[in-house]
Amino acid sequence: MNINLKIWRQKSDHQDGGLRSYRLENIDPNISFLEMLDILNIKLVKEKKDPVAFDHDCREGICGSCGFMINGRPHGPQKATTVCQLHMRAFNNEDNILLEPFRAESFPVIKDLSVDRKAFDRIISSGGYVAVDTGDALEANSIPIAKEDADEAFLSSACIGCGACVAACKNSSAMLFTAAKVSHLALLPQGEKEGKERVVNMVATMDEEGFGACTNTGACSAECPKEIGQTNIARLNREFIKSKI
Amino acid sequence: MSIIKLLTSSVGRKILMAITGLLLSFFMAFHLFGNLFLFVGEAAFNGYVEKLHKLGFLIRIAEFFLVLFVFSHAYSGILLWIKNRKAKKVVSSYSKENTPGAAKYAAFSGSIVFIFLATHWSTFWYKFNFDLRGMSYYYVVTESQVGFGSPLVSIFYIIAIALLGYHLKHGITSAGQTLGIIGTKYEKTYNNIAAIFWFWIPLGFISIPVWFGFLVRII
Repeated sequence: MNINLKIWRQKSDHQDGGLRSYRLENIDPNISFLEMLDILNIKLVKEKKDPVAFDHDCREGICGSCGFMINGRPHGPQKATTVCQLHMRAFNNEDNILLEPFRAESFPVIKDLSVDRKAFDRIISSGGYVAVDTGDALEANSIPIAKEDADEAFLSSACIGCGACVAACKNSSAMLFTAAKVSHLALLPQGEKEGKERVVNMVATMDEEGFGACTNTGACSAECPKEIGQTNIARLNREFIKSKI
Repeated sequence: MSIIKLLTSSVGRKILMAITGLLLSFFMAFHLFGNLFLFVGEAAFNGYVEKLHKLGFLIRIAEFFLVLFVFSHAYSGILLWIKNRKAKKVVSSYSKENTPGAAKYAAFSGSIVFIFLATHWSTFWYKFNFDLRGMSYYYVVTESQVGFGSPLVSIFYIIAIALLGYHLKHGITSAGQTLGIIGTKYEKTYNNIAAIFWFWIPLGFISIPVWFGFLVRII
C-alpha cells in the first residue's frame, strides 16, 4: 500500500514547528504503525535527513512509552489500541495520515512527536504508592480482598500512563490518569491507609503541573488505550470529599 | 489541609460549583412552584406573593444566599475556564467534534443565563419589591411591558430558560460525577431526577410566557 504522511516536525519546545509531507510506497499492510515509521526513518537517514523522533519501548502495548496523535486522535483510529499495536491494515491505500505530538501545556515537546511527560511522574511521586509496611509475599494472600474489589482495582491499575487522556481532553486535564491511580490504591486495603493524603496531594500536584480541570466530557475514557472508565474519576471525587469529612 | 486550600484546588472548585449549582436548581423548582399559581388565577398568585413578602427578613436572607451561590458558582466556573484554556495548546479537531454540545457550550449558556438573571432582577424582582405603582403582581407578570405584555421579553425569556435547561443538562449530570454519585448504586435514580431538573422544570417555566405572552392573546 502507498500512504501520504504529514508529520509535525519541531526541533525543540523553544522553536516553532510545522507539518512536513512524506510519501511511502509499497508498505506491507501487516506491519505495525511504528515499523512503518522505522521504514520512513531509515529512508530519511539514507538521504542524510533528520529522522522523525517518536517515543517507543516495549511495542507490546504495555509500557506506555508510545503515543501521538494520528488524524487528531491519540493512538489513532482503533479502539483500545496503543500506536505500537496499531497496524497499517487499519488504513487504506493512498490514505493521508496526519501525525502530531500529544499537545498540552504540561507536555512540552522534546522533538517532533516526542513529548516530555515527566509531569505524570511527579503526580505519581506525590502519592501514587504504598509507603506503609504491608508485609511480605505471604501477607498478600493472608489479607482477604473481595473478588469485585480486586477486579476493579486491576482495571484501574491497567493505566500505562501514556498521556492519551490529556491529549484527548479539551482542557488537557490529567484527571483520568490521577483517578486511575487513586482508585487502584483506594480499592485495596494496602492503599486505604494513606488514602486521604494521597488524593489531596496528587490533586494538588496535578493542579501545580498546569493540567486543566475535568469538565466531565468523557473524551479521555473514549480514547484511552486501556479503557480506563469514568467511574475512576467519580471515585477520585468521592475520595476527595471523604478526605474532608 | 485548610478549607481555603480545599476550595482553591481544581477538584474543590468543582465541588463548590456542583453544590451551589444543585442548591440553585432546588431553588428553581421552588420558584416554579410559585410561578404555577399564575395558572390558578390572579387572586391565587397575588396571595402567594403576599405570603412570601410577609416572611420579611427571612426572604432577604434567602436572597442573599442565592446571590452568593450564583456568584460563587460563576466565579469558580470562570477560574476553571481560564485554567483549562491555559492548559491546552491546541484542541484537536477530533475532540472538538466529539465533545457533547451541552458540555462544550456550558460556559456560553451559563453566561447568557447570567445576563438573563441580571435583567430578571432589574425587572420582576425590582418591580415586585420597590416599584409596584398600584399594579397587582399578576398584572406585572402577564400584562406589563417588563413582563409578558412585551413579546420581546417573552422571547428572550423562552430562549434564556431553554439555554438554562441546556446548561443543566451538562451541569446536573456533571455534578453527579463531581460529587462521586456516578458509579454507585444511586446513579440511575440520580440521572432520572436530573432529567426532571434539566427538562421538565425549564419546560414548566417556558409554558408561562408561551401561554400568557402569546397563546392567551390568540385564543
